[in-house]
Amino acid sequence: MLKRREVLQGLIVSMGGAAALTACSGVATVVATPHGQPGRFYTAQEMLFLSRFSDLIIPRTETPGAVDVNVSGYMDALMTDWANDETRASHRGAMTRIQNELNSRVGGSFADAGEDQAVQELTALDASVFDGSMELEGYRTVKGYISRSYFATEGGAVEELKWVAVPGRWDPSVDISDTL
Amino acid sequence: MADFDAIVVGSGMSGGMSAKELTERGLKVLVLERGPEIIPERDYVDELAPWETPNFDSVPQDEIEKHYPKQYGGVAYAIKESNKDFWVKDDEHPYEEAEGTSYDWLRGYHTAGRSIMWSRQTYRLSDYDFEANKNDGIGVDWPIRYDDIKPWYEKVETFAGIAGSAEGLPQLPDSVFQPAFELTDAEKELKSKVETNFPGRNVIPARIAHITEVTDEQRSLGRTNCQARNRCHFGCTFKAYFSSLNATLPAAERTGNLTMVHNAIVQSVEYDAAANRVTGVRVVDAETNEKKLYTAKVIFLNASAIASAMILLQSKSETFPNGLANGSDQVGRNLMDHVSGAGAAGFMSGFDSMKVFGRRPSGGIYIPRYANITENDKPFIRGFGFQGGASPVGNSGGQIPGIGRAYKEAHKQPGPWRVSIGAFGEQLPDPDNRVTLHASKRDRWGNPLALFNVRYGDNEYKMLEEAGKDAVAMLEAAGCSNITSTPISLTKPGNRIHEMGSARMGRDPATSVLNGRAQAHEVPNLFITDGSFMTSAACQNPSLTYLAFSARAADYAVGLMNEGVI
Repeated sequence: MLKRREVLQGLIVSMGGAAALTACSGVATVVATPHGQPGRFYTAQEMLFLSRFSDLIIPRTETPGAVDVNVSGYMDALMTDWANDETRASHRGAMTRIQNELNSRVGGSFADAGEDQAVQELTALDASVFDGSMELEGYRTVKGYISRSYFATEGGAVEELKWVAVPGRWDPSVDISDTL
Repeated sequence: MADFDAIVVGSGMSGGMSAKELTERGLKVLVLERGPEIIPERDYVDELAPWETPNFDSVPQDEIEKHYPKQYGGVAYAIKESNKDFWVKDDEHPYEEAEGTSYDWLRGYHTAGRSIMWSRQTYRLSDYDFEANKNDGIGVDWPIRYDDIKPWYEKVETFAGIAGSAEGLPQLPDSVFQPAFELTDAEKELKSKVETNFPGRNVIPARIAHITEVTDEQRSLGRTNCQARNRCHFGCTFKAYFSSLNATLPAAERTGNLTMVHNAIVQSVEYDAAANRVTGVRVVDAETNEKKLYTAKVIFLNASAIASAMILLQSKSETFPNGLANGSDQVGRNLMDHVSGAGAAGFMSGFDSMKVFGRRPSGGIYIPRYANITENDKPFIRGFGFQGGASPVGNSGGQIPGIGRAYKEAHKQPGPWRVSIGAFGEQLPDPDNRVTLHASKRDRWGNPLALFNVRYGDNEYKMLEEAGKDAVAMLEAAGCSNITSTPISLTKPGNRIHEMGSARMGRDPATSVLNGRAQAHEVPNLFITDGSFMTSAACQNPSLTYLAFSARAADYAVGLMNEGVI
């Protein structure tokens, strides 16, 4: 998992130049938001939190992480261009609840928390939401947005999932015992 | 002198086949399409990668509410941002529903109609179906039997390309097949358990209109084998699945006998009472509102079961005050669809080390009808087939615990194997289930709006209740865990997009619109070969039957023309 300074470095790199997931002509373009700046939907503070949050969930490994592929920019476009007012309000509420919970757990700004503490607290929160011991409305939905956004990018789809545009054949029975 | 030998109204599934068969027999044919032109090289969007379609390729929520409430509500799985133009905007193409009823009229107005967006399940009818009305005393008897249509099934299947397996089932005759998409291991397990525990029930590969062993004829039309991308609702650059645009219209075009006019909304069919012949059609241009008359010696209506009925109802004359060829008062009646809303899903263990490669298009398995075939203890008549499949669920939705590397890695695992099956049941013909012309409301071209009044009957409710129980029982027999089966909730009429029966075939002109050749009883040079002609619905997906009857009717019509009869 990346150190926080590497995350921020990644943010700057990924958003400084390439920073745009350009679709083919005639289709919408997702433009990343510069670090420290608000998005079209998110505030600057929300962008910072989402970048940190998403990077802890999907970090850079041998393949790109959430920050590298600009998940926060993807979601900013999603909320701006796809969501209706009801979804936007619901999403903003969920983001606020998640952020408040994590801030509370680290005793300050989660975005500024150290690597070990951030991982520890988010791991504990995630586990308690998924085992049902804690209710945090919208957590799973936001995590779903992050994951789906990541795997909808070229980095997530091709480099991580090995997605193939034209399989060319159907094999209904691929034994992956050796890889498990 | 007529402008054309034949006019085909509609370029979708049946219209494309009518055009192909008529042009290949030397007729000069005009195909009228009410929507704009689709050019595959320009308009297919099947080659877009996930990252080239922002927002998960989802149509914005406000746009759905404004433009696609019916269409999206009916087929959310098929309508995406990149292909939304394949579907009509509900606010631009409204219709009305009788009080207390609801109808899903799901459509695409453009070249090839819904044959671009269909789900490609392809099954023959059998004599169980052609004899059903007679045996049950329901509706009217089909005027033909399986042997009459069998050679035409063979002809259109050979041309189209159907992937499937020979099973020798009397209720579901084998087609001319190309190799099937092989079942997954979990589906094979389901097949074994179901066929062992329920003798007379079969689990077979879904039969789908995809090329898997391309023929020279298909190659000559620029078609090739399915590439297992499952991008079919976006068009197919490989032209591997059958559609009018991928197959029949190019075949018609290469004869040099095809003229195609787009944006031509047919408002009525002209009728010459003295000669007792239809002579042409009146159209309004969808973009310019210009009105025009096209004439021909023979007319094929292939506008869909609803639109063809409406055209007939709009074509009033002194001879036919209730609509053309409607002396029986059956036009617009007996509107049928298939009914779903019962099924089950569960998880199968023992396959965690298995995954699949490629994305299989359309369905995986089909469980042919057994009710009132091999099992005769049912509290309903007719029956249903199940469509479904078993595949690894995967984890791409983010609904698994954990964060970090382990969470990321988990998405590469196939996940648990889930099986699901859903019933497609037969709706009985009922003359009170009908589409009529709204008395006062008009569309922007001045045409009456469709008014639907369709309800399911007791038989459909009883059938689906039993189908739901059967689905759970079969999954239990297969050893599934966590089986879920939602309360029976019948799909809205129209939702299966198999509209049928609005100008039914029959033996008696007093009780039916068409004869066994899909020729109007009352007007010899008028043929209708879309879903309108269906005397009963069977439970099989109907497009293949439309294709076969279109080819047969075209051959018959040309024969009559050559003999000078019409």
